[in-house]
Amino acid sequence: MGMSYRRYLAGARVYGCLSCRTHLTTIHSMISRAFNGQHGRAYLFEDVVNVIEGEPNDRQMTTGNHTVRDIYCCKCKTILGWKYEKAYEQSQKYKEGKYILERNLLVDVQ
Amino acid sequence: MRPPEREYESNPTSPRIHPQARSPSLSPSPKANGHVANGHGSPMNGSSKHSKSPVPRVELPGATIYDDSYIDREEYIRLVIQSLRDIGYIESAATLEAESGYVMETSRVAEFRRCILEGTWSEAESALEHLGVSENDGLWEAKCHISQQKYLECLESGRTSMALHVLRNELAPLHTDPELLHPLSSLVMCTDAADLRQKAGWDGAHGSSRRRLLVNLQSYIPSSLMIPPRRFVTLLDQARLQQISQCIYHNAPITPQHFSLYADHTCDTDLFPRVTTTILQVHTDEVWSLEWSHSGKFLASASKDKSVIVWSVGPNSNPEISLYLHLQDHQFPVGCLAWSLDDTILLSSCEQLIKMWNTESGALIRTIEAHTEPVSALAWVPDGSGFISASQDRKINLWGSDGKQRDSWGITATRIIDLAVTPDFTRLVAIGESARDPILSTPRSDAAAASATARNGNNNTAPNGSRTPEYLMIVYDLTTKQPELSVSLGGQLTSVKISSDSQYALVNHAPDEVHLWDLFTGRLARKYTGQRQGRHIIRSCFGGVDGNFVVSGSEDGKVYVWHRDRGILLDVLAGHGLGSVNSVAWNPRNTQMFASCSDDCTIRLWEPSAGGTDGDSASRLAHRTADDRSHEGELNGKGKGKGRESWVEDISASRIL
Repeated sequence: MGMSYRRYLAGARVYGCLSCRTHLTTIHSMISRAFNGQHGRAYLFEDVVNVIEGEPNDRQMTTGNHTVRDIYCCKCKTILGWKYEKAYEQSQKYKEGKYILERNLLVDVQ
Repeated sequence: MRPPEREYESNPTSPRIHPQARSPSLSPSPKANGHVANGHGSPMNGSSKHSKSPVPRVELPGATIYDDSYIDREEYIRLVIQSLRDIGYIESAATLEAESGYVMETSRVAEFRRCILEGTWSEAESALEHLGVSENDGLWEAKCHISQQKYLECLESGRTSMALHVLRNELAPLHTDPELLHPLSSLVMCTDAADLRQKAGWDGAHGSSRRRLLVNLQSYIPSSLMIPPRRFVTLLDQARLQQISQCIYHNAPITPQHFSLYADHTCDTDLFPRVTTTILQVHTDEVWSLEWSHSGKFLASASKDKSVIVWSVGPNSNPEISLYLHLQDHQFPVGCLAWSLDDTILLSSCEQLIKMWNTESGALIRTIEAHTEPVSALAWVPDGSGFISASQDRKINLWGSDGKQRDSWGITATRIIDLAVTPDFTRLVAIGESARDPILSTPRSDAAAASATARNGNNNTAPNGSRTPEYLMIVYDLTTKQPELSVSLGGQLTSVKISSDSQYALVNHAPDEVHLWDLFTGRLARKYTGQRQGRHIIRSCFGGVDGNFVVSGSEDGKVYVWHRDRGILLDVLAGHGLGSVNSVAWNPRNTQMFASCSDDCTIRLWEPSAGGTDGDSASRLAHRTADDRSHEGELNGKGKGKGRESWVEDISASRIL
């Protein structure tokens, strides 16, 4: 895979991994706050950096069936949320390619 | 003393015209200056004419040495006479002067030379005027040189009043600039001759100072009158340099063995390192970085497997390679390495930590935790007193060799990816990504607009709506810590190295380029292309005799080698497995060996092929590598030459720490 450094973000508010403060995303990338994850409130983001994606699997969610991949912090390997690969309901298609991060696993970093 | 008859009797075929039968068409060449080619000008410089019968003059047609040559015969012969005299063949030189009718220099030039070397200054000054040096040609400056020597010699021999006389009546009227005169006049205060010589940076009347004065004065005299010293050898040296510049695989030291006047110089391409002779296979994950010790006897490798290995490499021919130290006390993958100047300390970086290792015992001396983000560069300062660390946290720190912080550059504007110090201790070259204060540099409206673009499905925009980062190369003045040059470049920069003469910076630039920057002019001097890099930290280096070559890793798993000055891609070396070749390092002592490391968990040593075709030995080696896994004990330590043993994990033979 080769050596690379983690990416650093700039913006009014940068969200990082709670355990190791690795930059993940910014408030400008946020699409919605109205999601729920395993640890309570979760946010939907347009894009997230410095994460490793797990294997795809199908999950039945409140809004229907989705193919998702868990996402891990690339430094500390904590599971932070998931990425939507595919939404089976037409109304949920907008989530494809987007990321969920659990609010309780995030910290503001600068 | 040889009888002069033999000189020409031994060469009866050469065309010869009787001295008295001079062809009228044979007018002296323009450069002959009349008095030079008079045929009767008695050879000077102590060439005694003991010959009983004079050597007859040989008359030749034309003015060049061959019909189709541009070389003027007179110029050529005068240079030959000069070299003969320099060597000590005084009689041969005299004979050649008589036979050719050309003299090395006129009696006036010889007289001038004698005056300078004997220190008869007033005669020297008038001789200078007779040699055609006019006011326009710097007669004034030439006289200054003479007066200055005269002044210093007077002081040296204790004739202070005479020296003052020279100062007042000769130097002062000539020197209008007091800035030049003042240091000279202050020399009067010197206590003795030794003090004078030291303060004036001058080696005295009996040293080389008169000869140096002569060389200086020669620049005011037409070279056709007074031939510059060692002119023939100067021309031959130029030919040699030209031949070296044409020899694209040039990797040989300058010795008589590699240079002959009989044939043009070329280096044997078989002596160029292009064959894998050893594969080191102990790391259990990607190998990211390599550094040779300054002695060239140890190679350190840093891996994603959270360890550093120090390999011991034997002397030049057929080096035995063994695992010397396995430094496993790293909590994270290891990114960079740096050997102290005396090779006693090895630095390694893993994430935000810097570790200092004793290279004799393998003991961890100290862990430094001063950075908050990954340490991306470690570089010892050229005097060995300490080292500089740089990090993605934008800080540059200076440490003593004891690991105590001595200085900090504060928070720079750059998340540093790599950094290097010039060997002349004047500059620091850092590369990285600009990281301006986000609140100031990213107004919300801009970011919102960018974010909106991103939502519209434009995937080219950087994630999170932030702007495309700016990639910078910044050259700092090492003493003032102020940037003297900042260049914004179009792609990610991943590595920087400095040439041994401190003039060039070698910078890897994504996508797919290596740039050579001239730090003296602040300009891009050359680009090397061919290698692949887009996403990863790929490193390159200089190598070989005089740093003639540039080598780089590549994301296509190959090693790329270019000629530094001509930019020619010399070799694309295959062999590493899947993934990137992350770094390369040329042995600083053995110019015929370099190492490369790869995602395939191995390190390869590249050396000249010891006979046989490249492909053949490479395939044999690959075969042995596969074999070694099952017969490691058997092969250990007995392999030789091209197919030497490759290192597989062998706990018993290694020092695991």
